[in-house]
Amino acid sequence: MTTVHAEAGKGTLPHEPEKATLEGRNKVLAFWLFLGGEAVLFGTLFATFLALRNSTNDGPSAAELFHLPLVAAATFLLLASSLTSVFAIQAMHRNKPKELRGWLLITVVLGAAFLALEIYEFSVYVRHEEFGMTTSAFSSAFYTLVGFHGAHVAFGIVWIAILIGQLVRKGLTVVTAPKIYVSAMYWHFIDVVWVFIFTVVYLLGKVG
Amino acid sequence: MATEQHSQEGGVKHRHRHEGPQRHIVVFVFSVLLTLLAFAAVAAGGVNATFAVILLLVMAALQVVLQMGFWMHLKDKGHLLPIVFMLGGFFIAGTCIVMALYWVWWD
Repeated sequence: MTTVHAEAGKGTLPHEPEKATLEGRNKVLAFWLFLGGEAVLFGTLFATFLALRNSTNDGPSAAELFHLPLVAAATFLLLASSLTSVFAIQAMHRNKPKELRGWLLITVVLGAAFLALEIYEFSVYVRHEEFGMTTSAFSSAFYTLVGFHGAHVAFGIVWIAILIGQLVRKGLTVVTAPKIYVSAMYWHFIDVVWVFIFTVVYLLGKVG
Repeated sequence: MATEQHSQEGGVKHRHRHEGPQRHIVVFVFSVLLTLLAFAAVAAGGVNATFAVILLLVMAALQVVLQMGFWMHLKDKGHLLPIVFMLGGFFIAGTCIVMALYWVWWD
């Protein structure tokens, strides 16, 4: 279950380095406020989508368009990446920078795979299904909501990749630790938003 | 955190606990199961639409609560303000959704 060990002789990194400094604690708290704002942002996009999801303007409807196996694959990729970022933080708490970098790298790779699937999905819709941004109110709402989430994933990938670079150059310190912790919070939140997207957009779209 | 001193200065020998990966893997397995169940319910078809909507939304909410509680540590001590921030965000988001649906469905 839980392992107990003495910290003496293991370097000077505190147990929860992200909360060791006032700046770190403030960063984490402020990031929660930001995530509350993000929830409002995605809430408005969900509201727009729910209001317009049946306004297909003679274009493809959700039930005709969506291909569930692809969405399921994307879902499991993102879910797995959320777990690997938990492992990254646990490695950070055990003061294992190499393990931490490894888990962050896997997180980035899984996120990139998710994004590749989404880009493939959108390109199929645009090229083969004649389902573009301006096809219908439904298509506009769909691309805005899902695309905004995809943009968040893309931003997260770049962010975490930069943090891996900082870890290599500066090491794991009370300065770099809060940045990594906050990026993991962001990544979990992106996965939480996706849970609502695959449920509300894709599955409920299939149900009707 | 409250009972433990994790200060850098002083170099006092102390012990602390590290949580293992087990419960996070349990949350992961539950999330996978909930996701599989949701996709299976829709893929199999034949499920009453109203029942499916309620089932899917409940399973999504359950998964979100699990992940935010354990993976984002909201269930841990000292997370009152983060919970207030998130609930505030969800409340406004929910208000937007209710407003949009009311506007479209019952104009």
